[in-house]
Amino acid sequence: MAESKIPVFSAKWSEEEKGKWGLVVDQDLCTGCQACVTACAMENNIPFVGEEDAAYGRAMHWIRLERFWEGEYPQVKATPFQAVMCQQCGSAPCEPVCPVFASVHSQNEQLNIQVYNRCVGTRYCANNCPYVARTFNWRDYDRPEPLNNQLNPDVTVRRRGIMEKCTFCVQRIRKTEDAAKSEGRDVYDGEVEPACVQACPAEALVFGRIDDPESAVSKRMQSGRAVKLLEELGTQPRVTYLKGGD
Amino acid sequence: MLERIKKLNLLEKARELVRKPVFLIGTGLLFLLLFSAAGYGVWTTQQPPPQPIQFNHSVHVGLGVQCLYCHPGAWRQASAGLPTSGKCWGCHQQMANTKPEQQKLVEYVNSSEPIPWVPVFIQPDFVYFNHRPHIAGGVNCETCHGEISRLTVAEPIAGQNMGWCLDCHRTTAGDDEEKLIRLTDCSTCHR
Repeated sequence: MAESKIPVFSAKWSEEEKGKWGLVVDQDLCTGCQACVTACAMENNIPFVGEEDAAYGRAMHWIRLERFWEGEYPQVKATPFQAVMCQQCGSAPCEPVCPVFASVHSQNEQLNIQVYNRCVGTRYCANNCPYVARTFNWRDYDRPEPLNNQLNPDVTVRRRGIMEKCTFCVQRIRKTEDAAKSEGRDVYDGEVEPACVQACPAEALVFGRIDDPESAVSKRMQSGRAVKLLEELGTQPRVTYLKGGD
Repeated sequence: MLERIKKLNLLEKARELVRKPVFLIGTGLLFLLLFSAAGYGVWTTQQPPPQPIQFNHSVHVGLGVQCLYCHPGAWRQASAGLPTSGKCWGCHQQMANTKPEQQKLVEYVNSSEPIPWVPVFIQPDFVYFNHRPHIAGGVNCETCHGEISRLTVAEPIAGQNMGWCLDCHRTTAGDDEEKLIRLTDCSTCHR
């Protein structure tokens, strides 16, 4: 048989790869105020889809707050708030399925990067994401005056037919790294703050380097409450949840 | 039978029409028009945009003004920036300013209105170019912008695309694996 001409997917991650950036969500501190959701939408130019499209399940959020009811009515109990964003998997299910390599692993930042100018909108990545972290632009949502003035110039404004997702605010990471380099130093712990972390009033979200054992994130990850979402799938998520409730 | 004859007659007539010089010249002219229209369309994309002042780069560079004197942003931030009328006036207030283009500057200064310069070297919205690391890395302005010192009004350069960027990034990285990863990472320029 002739050799296949389809390129073999070969990401360079390994089981030992520790990752670079990580996020810790303390569910005991989270009050479910949705400040992170709002801050994320503002920072990353996420459009408001409106009532009708939201009813079709086309609401666009890069971060959402989940809450479930446990038990049978009337003995129901609400689980603590759980902020779910892209888990920036070390072994991401969304990456090998993209036919145009728009969903790629950034070797430099150890993040899952969505390249908007490559994306053709097959939505395969979203179907393969176990965390339902990806959102699709079903339309070109207009921003009537003066709403266009709030657009963040550091982030691409996505158009219709493009898949998008949380990037750990890579524009802020790059900006901070650039500033640190121009001053001839390393990025110090807590200098990079994604919009959700910056907005959280309860400091339930902490961001930093997980390959540095002295960082605030690494220290919080040592907690006995630490769990990762759907870890059994082998996705190697970079977001750690500190289990709340009880 | 009759229909067949009619058909043949029609074919014959069409053939005669094609052979007529008027028809041949007409189609020739039509194609010429289409090609020239397409050519004009391509040509317009390569033209420098109209500027409020026909600023003469070669004279200023010839007088020894550094690029970074008027575009100091390239030194420390993403955008190189375009000079304000105040910056121009710093030197020009000591001159006669008799030429018509200099008179335009005087008008802008007197009415204290900003000069609406039109950026020439523009990248698409999904490209986040940063001047600072390029200047810090020792890249000269003319490496990307061409011989601006020989131009009067700045002109764009064709073919400033991603392959062109990556060619230079790959050569710069050389055998340094870590540098290559950093310089060819998608998130370096797209976010």
